[in-house]
Amino acid sequence: MSLDFQQIRDQVQQMGKSAAKREQDLQKKRNTAGALLESFAHDIQKLREKAALAARQHDPTLRCALPLEEPLNRHFSQPAIPEKTTLLAADGSQIIPDRHAEVEFGLINVGAIQIDYGSSEPPAIRVFSRLFYGDELYTSTGSLSEATIALRRDLGERRMLAELAAQAEPPVITFTDGLLEIYGPRDPDVDEASEFRKSLTEYLETLSKMRELGVTAAGYVDKPGTTLVVRLLEVALTSEKELAEIKRLHPLRGVYDIDLYRSLLEPGGRSPIFAVQSPSTKVYTGDLALHFFYINVGREEYPWLARVEVPAWVVRNGELLNNLHAILVHQCRVMGTRHYPYLLHRAHETAIVTLQEKEQLTRMIAMELRHQGVHFWGLSHKQGLKDLPGRTRL
Amino acid sequence: MDGIEIGRLLRATTSGFVVGCRVSQLTAPSFGALVRVPLEKGYQIYGLIHDIHIEDDGLVRQLVTAEGISDAILADNRLNRNVPVEMGVLTLGYQQGERISHLLPPRPPLSLDVIYACTDKEICQFTSVGRFGYFRHILRAKELPTDELLAAHLIQTQSAQKIFGDSAWVHSATQELIILLRDEYPTLMAVLSAVNDAFEHL
Repeated sequence: MSLDFQQIRDQVQQMGKSAAKREQDLQKKRNTAGALLESFAHDIQKLREKAALAARQHDPTLRCALPLEEPLNRHFSQPAIPEKTTLLAADGSQIIPDRHAEVEFGLINVGAIQIDYGSSEPPAIRVFSRLFYGDELYTSTGSLSEATIALRRDLGERRMLAELAAQAEPPVITFTDGLLEIYGPRDPDVDEASEFRKSLTEYLETLSKMRELGVTAAGYVDKPGTTLVVRLLEVALTSEKELAEIKRLHPLRGVYDIDLYRSLLEPGGRSPIFAVQSPSTKVYTGDLALHFFYINVGREEYPWLARVEVPAWVVRNGELLNNLHAILVHQCRVMGTRHYPYLLHRAHETAIVTLQEKEQLTRMIAMELRHQGVHFWGLSHKQGLKDLPGRTRL
Repeated sequence: MDGIEIGRLLRATTSGFVVGCRVSQLTAPSFGALVRVPLEKGYQIYGLIHDIHIEDDGLVRQLVTAEGISDAILADNRLNRNVPVEMGVLTLGYQQGERISHLLPPRPPLSLDVIYACTDKEICQFTSVGRFGYFRHILRAKELPTDELLAAHLIQTQSAQKIFGDSAWVHSATQELIILLRDEYPTLMAVLSAVNDAFEHL
């Protein structure tokens, strides 16, 4: 036992004492935010203009929601589930190269699952695995980073979805866990920035292909911690004189968007749709512009909100949007008390590389290297000692 | 000699083994059924299914709390997901060439060996050899529901024996059980009661 529980116990008690007071303050902020949402609900144009002004003149990195036409406090009930739809979900996992491991290698594993709504056929499963070894573990000036492996995994997920969607019976809905936007190093001085730029170009092409096929693309974020609508309210609350200081003004800090919509959305309902004010709006433009809405996938007595990201072409097509909305609620209901889309969970199950599989793969690679007479250092002594039985660690 | 493949071996000891199969294969095996594991050079092991065990996992536990499960999700969980059905098999004997023995086999089957359900002919061949020597393996397994297992076995074997013209087999088998259990009155009564129940419903 290395954690000093006596020491930490005092801190936990201290935390408990201050938590009640903090919760009271937070509740006041939530009430204020709720009231602001109501009072600014119909000022769509004014809000858009003020957010644009703040971003243009004072904070180019400003990230906030931009309302479209629907009032901020409007909610939309769950539409009817479409009779026939092909649903595709993808997820990925990775092994990050570790110099302490027996052999150094990287891996991405992407799993996709396809279900035909309205059919009793079992879903079809696809897996794509890619090993990185030897020279592939290096970039021009360093080693393959965790961020680049994650980028390749994300791109692999999207690529696989686009390929499957092109072959599937329309209408097709695809979704991934997390945001639609992909991330990576953008700073041109960073070694892997060029790979990110290349991946981004390919991703935008993939999205465009999906748009041409009329496929619905969506990213599903469970228990979102975003404050995009809250930030919009903070911008709205700030006088024009103080707007220059917007970067450091956070009067509603601690309030999340889901706090605003928790009581507004009935089970199965969704919030209005918002566009996003952020630096990435320059990248995702036109039909690919990123939008989002909140959705209550929970029950009457236990609301549970998720954030759904969709591109503009889905927002502009009411039928695509309604079908996505209905399917997501239905997918979450399938899971009983854990409100998360069934197919996304299955995609995760398909893609995950377990510890046992990682060990097996390590052994397989080590055996092959030995068989070929290739020298490798093996497990580091540090890792070997950490792996000794009788000790567990986080 | 090939019959219906019912699964592959997960783990084994000399006296029994565990078979794993997909849910889609589960229509063939049944409680009390005689199975065989063909190994090399005419050597095969016989056993009796005494337990069919369906594993759950986190997702299955979660899905049972849902209001309705569609056919596609049912099929996904039964056909796609890696949740095998496990069957416990009690080893009853083995065959080497033409000779069938009701002794325990010299070595157990190995991982992933294929297990087949015995055909009626194979059931008759195994159960007609000697004088019910394999009963002692069943009666010795105190942790098993011996009475129910024997009843299930007698029904299935009687049906196979009838096809091959030995309708008296079940009487001989019951007589043998009475002899073997003569000093264990409670067990004997439980076995006879189960056998009686089984044949009453035929």
